[in-house]
Amino acid sequence: MASTGFFSSSIGKKYLIGLTAIFISLFVFTHMLGNMLLFVSPEVYNGYSHKLLTNPLIVLIELFFLALFLTHVLYTIKTTLENKEARGQRFTITTSGAKAVTFSSKTMIYHGALIFVFLVLHLLTFKYGQIYEATYNGVVMRDLHRLVIEVFQIPSYVVWYVIAVFLLGLHLHHGVQSIFQTLGFNQPRYTPAIRKIGLTYAWVVAIGYMFQPLYVFFFYQQ
Amino acid sequence: MLKLDSKIPGGPLEQKWETHKFQMKLVNPANKRKYSVIVVGTGLAGASASASLAELGYEVKTFTIHDSPRRAHSIAAQGGINAAKNYTNDGDSVYRLFYDTIKGGDFRAREANVYRLAEVSNSIIDQCVAQGVPFARDYGGLLDNRSFGGSQVSRTFYARGQTGQQLLIGAYQAMMRQVGLGTIKLFNRREMLDLVTVDGAARGIITRNLVTGAIESHVADAVILATGGYGNVFFLSTNAKACNGTAVWKAYKKGAGFGNPCFTQIHPTCIPVSGHYQSKLTLMSESLRNDGRVWVPKKVGETRPPAEIPEEDRDYYLERVYPSFGNLAPRDVSSRQAKFACDAGRGVGQSKMAVYLDFKDAIKRLGKAKIEERYGNLFQMYEKITDENPYEVPMRIFPAVHYTMGGLWVDYNLMSTVPGLHVLGEANFSDHGANRLGASALMQGLADGYFVIPYTIGDYLVGNKLPKIDASHEAFRAAEAEAKARTQKLLSIKGSQTVDEMHMKLGKLMWDHVGMSRNEAGLKKALIEIPKLRDQFWQDIRIPGEGMELNQELEKAGRVADFLELGELMAHDALHRTESCGGHFREESQTEDNEAKRDDENFAYAGVWEYKGQGKAPELNKEQLVFERIHLATRSYK
Amino acid sequence: MSDKSINLTLKIWRQKNANEIGHFETHPVKDISTDMSFLEMFDLLNLHIIKAGGVPIAFDSDCREGICGMCSMTINGNPHGPDRETATCQLHMRRFSDGDTIVVEPFRAKAFPVLKDLCTDRSSLDRMIAAGGFVSVNTGSAQDGNALPVPKQDSDLAMDAAACIGCGACVAACKNASAMLFVSAKVSHLGLLPQGAVEKERRVLNMVAQMDKEKFGSCTNTGACEAACPKAIKMENIARMNRGFFSASLTRR
Repeated sequence: MASTGFFSSSIGKKYLIGLTAIFISLFVFTHMLGNMLLFVSPEVYNGYSHKLLTNPLIVLIELFFLALFLTHVLYTIKTTLENKEARGQRFTITTSGAKAVTFSSKTMIYHGALIFVFLVLHLLTFKYGQIYEATYNGVVMRDLHRLVIEVFQIPSYVVWYVIAVFLLGLHLHHGVQSIFQTLGFNQPRYTPAIRKIGLTYAWVVAIGYMFQPLYVFFFYQQ
Repeated sequence: MLKLDSKIPGGPLEQKWETHKFQMKLVNPANKRKYSVIVVGTGLAGASASASLAELGYEVKTFTIHDSPRRAHSIAAQGGINAAKNYTNDGDSVYRLFYDTIKGGDFRAREANVYRLAEVSNSIIDQCVAQGVPFARDYGGLLDNRSFGGSQVSRTFYARGQTGQQLLIGAYQAMMRQVGLGTIKLFNRREMLDLVTVDGAARGIITRNLVTGAIESHVADAVILATGGYGNVFFLSTNAKACNGTAVWKAYKKGAGFGNPCFTQIHPTCIPVSGHYQSKLTLMSESLRNDGRVWVPKKVGETRPPAEIPEEDRDYYLERVYPSFGNLAPRDVSSRQAKFACDAGRGVGQSKMAVYLDFKDAIKRLGKAKIEERYGNLFQMYEKITDENPYEVPMRIFPAVHYTMGGLWVDYNLMSTVPGLHVLGEANFSDHGANRLGASALMQGLADGYFVIPYTIGDYLVGNKLPKIDASHEAFRAAEAEAKARTQKLLSIKGSQTVDEMHMKLGKLMWDHVGMSRNEAGLKKALIEIPKLRDQFWQDIRIPGEGMELNQELEKAGRVADFLELGELMAHDALHRTESCGGHFREESQTEDNEAKRDDENFAYAGVWEYKGQGKAPELNKEQLVFERIHLATRSYK
Repeated sequence: MSDKSINLTLKIWRQKNANEIGHFETHPVKDISTDMSFLEMFDLLNLHIIKAGGVPIAFDSDCREGICGMCSMTINGNPHGPDRETATCQLHMRRFSDGDTIVVEPFRAKAFPVLKDLCTDRSSLDRMIAAGGFVSVNTGSAQDGNALPVPKQDSDLAMDAAACIGCGACVAACKNASAMLFVSAKVSHLGLLPQGAVEKERRVLNMVAQMDKEKFGSCTNTGACEAACPKAIKMENIARMNRGFFSASLTRR
């Protein structure tokens, strides 16, 4: 029997989703750390974004991440549709008690979809949003700090943002440890540790993101 | 009169099989694909035969009653499989395995067959290991052995408590490999309803497609039945629900002699019956007797819970009566002693129909962890069923029907009295005589399938010029019509009793009169009662639904209808055999201390029954057993 | 042991055959001894149905001791019922309380079409074995069983995976109807042993290809399979298969 290509097999597709997820997970972590610069000073905050934006490789990197995101999204949609087809008629009741599974693991596609919507809006709001300028030491740069402060004064946006990053936490809650399983790392000796690290990672990222809007909304004074 | 030619090759015992293999005609490799073989059943014997024959190049069609061939009841064997490897250096040899098996069978098996079985036992282990059967190993990476009832050497290979499962999966995988290669055509959810003979030779079968209800014909050059035993005639047994005697019974009615139908094995260590609607009995592996001690209270009518009964009030009866084998006495002996204890009013549990199997001493000696390692899954199973923790409370066990040594008579080539009809595994009468030793059923099933039939079937196929026929042959048309008519008849009765109710009644009759101990009056009663029940069945059975659909009541009804005839034949056989031997205990034939008394002068033969037609008494034929090597002795485990 | 008896209401999936649309049917069942197994309770119910002139509920079962893998039934959403490491036939009524309502469905999945009521066709599992779940060794060509030592740990791990009974609960439990646990158990069982390691690349490629062909879903690591497995087959096997599949895909020619 001829076997099909790796990436068209069910395991290959999962590999692709897992591999892209590694980069995305690392990305959301570093992004979260960058956000924390808000607590240092507007200058540092804007300087950091300026450094990123003026990097000559930025276009390539952005394209790379765009490809990652799209691959992750398209392949999850594809497998979800296939999985739905494979399930056929659904059960009237789902597993429960000793046979229950975590909420996050069975709802990945839903929070994933919401996170994707959030991502698009997020880009529109910030990356492609209002452009203010600031000058530090004679260098003119985008004043992202001001935009952030403005946006996070809007209650509805704060609520939406907090919910979205909570969903991101939920997504990573299952996602991070799941990457290891998919790529083939599971052994009783270290899997419990992976599980703990994965959960910690997920919620550190999510809560980290919440700092910025909540701080701005409740405590920031112009 | 049947022509019973056992075809035992000449020469000394040790060389018979070797000589025979050389003397048999061979089929040219290129010609093998021109021969087709039907295999019915996919247990150890059927799956191994299918795989081996397909590997040789024959065109194989394999049938299973289940949704998957892996479900066959061989899967439930727990304890292990014997082989004369002597890896343990404790004095085992092919000859000793042969001797133990003949003796264990109470000298009612054919020497040459049993010797061959012992001889190929080692190849079976090799074959299974090569297939990836995960037998238990020690830290050096080599195979581990344990001891088993009826033997004083450790020769049993095992895979936790799931040896049957692992061996079956090995054979199943070998078979599925051939299915994948297209050399085996697999038919699942098919039940064999009849054997078709043309010019006296077996040429095919009639099956019912259990999903659609269609009655189908399948033609071949030879037919192999590997359909297991008929222990379910007792309703309650350790057999699976689908185990039945229909295939062998239909073959019997088409002229195959039925050997020793009364030889049934009652297994000593089963979980006792707990309620009226109990559907089957669960076996606890005999290996438990390696460490468990069997006892009952000394006092009749004892009411204290087991923990409060002091040592001096306990009767470890197996150790007392059989000091050298103790708790490892063979199955028939152990079962009978349990029955005696219960009959004497010393049984335990609510029903008083059980004895204790106590691990207290073993846990003290080896620690709970060791016991858990050895029997963990069995203890767990026991607790699930009974809601009692056997680490703390002794298990309650009672004998239950487990295996049928009887079956279709076969010659040395495993061919029945119908040319071309070969019978393997538990379905044949062969190697276990009147009692089977533990861990020998798996050995026999695989020996037949892997190492005997692939040699002998070729000899039959080249030696007989068979006419070319297809399913349009009148014999097939007639058999199909008959099968359809029977189905219609069953469906048309629309009486008031369900199949299970009838089956339970038959089971009780069989257990009471053709069970663990038998006597003339009881057997005569059974011979009156069974036909009456059969008449009732054909007048009052209720089968809902239709024929052309998945209809489980209809399936069961066909099987019970055959059991109602087979049970009668068992009673005939038990009645005629006035000696006690192995699993067949006639109360009239016992020694002063209640041990079975064999009668070699009058009964050293296999009783082979011949069907003489509806309503006519079956006729007894005898294959005299000749013991060239082994001196017939009273079996003693004392 | 107890003599307790309970009354239950059962909502059971009825479907005449593969082509017709099914529905739930409600049956009250009275005086169920708590020592009965779940299947014996069905026997009793069927007895009542037949006596009342109805058509009994078709359900699969055989060994009734948890080893053949024939019994199925999804009980209140859980394949093989509420307990871990338990097949439906080993589930006892003492696990339920008087007055409970129990919903019973077949082992649903696209790859397991319903044949009738609670019976499904699971031959897709067999076809995956036929695609590669074996060691290619013909009868008679084996060397001595002790010629090749197998580290006890490997042998034990292989046995853990080989304990699979092929019931399909993993597929039923999985929201994606994925057969990864089943396939990976076989890939692990044979791949861990030196006898089976020879063709492990070929095996994993072929079995996964067949799995995809049978239209099972893919694994999203929810762990429902492991929780539902009556033989406690671990997801570790799936990880092992994923590794094996990746390296086999890299090295295949």
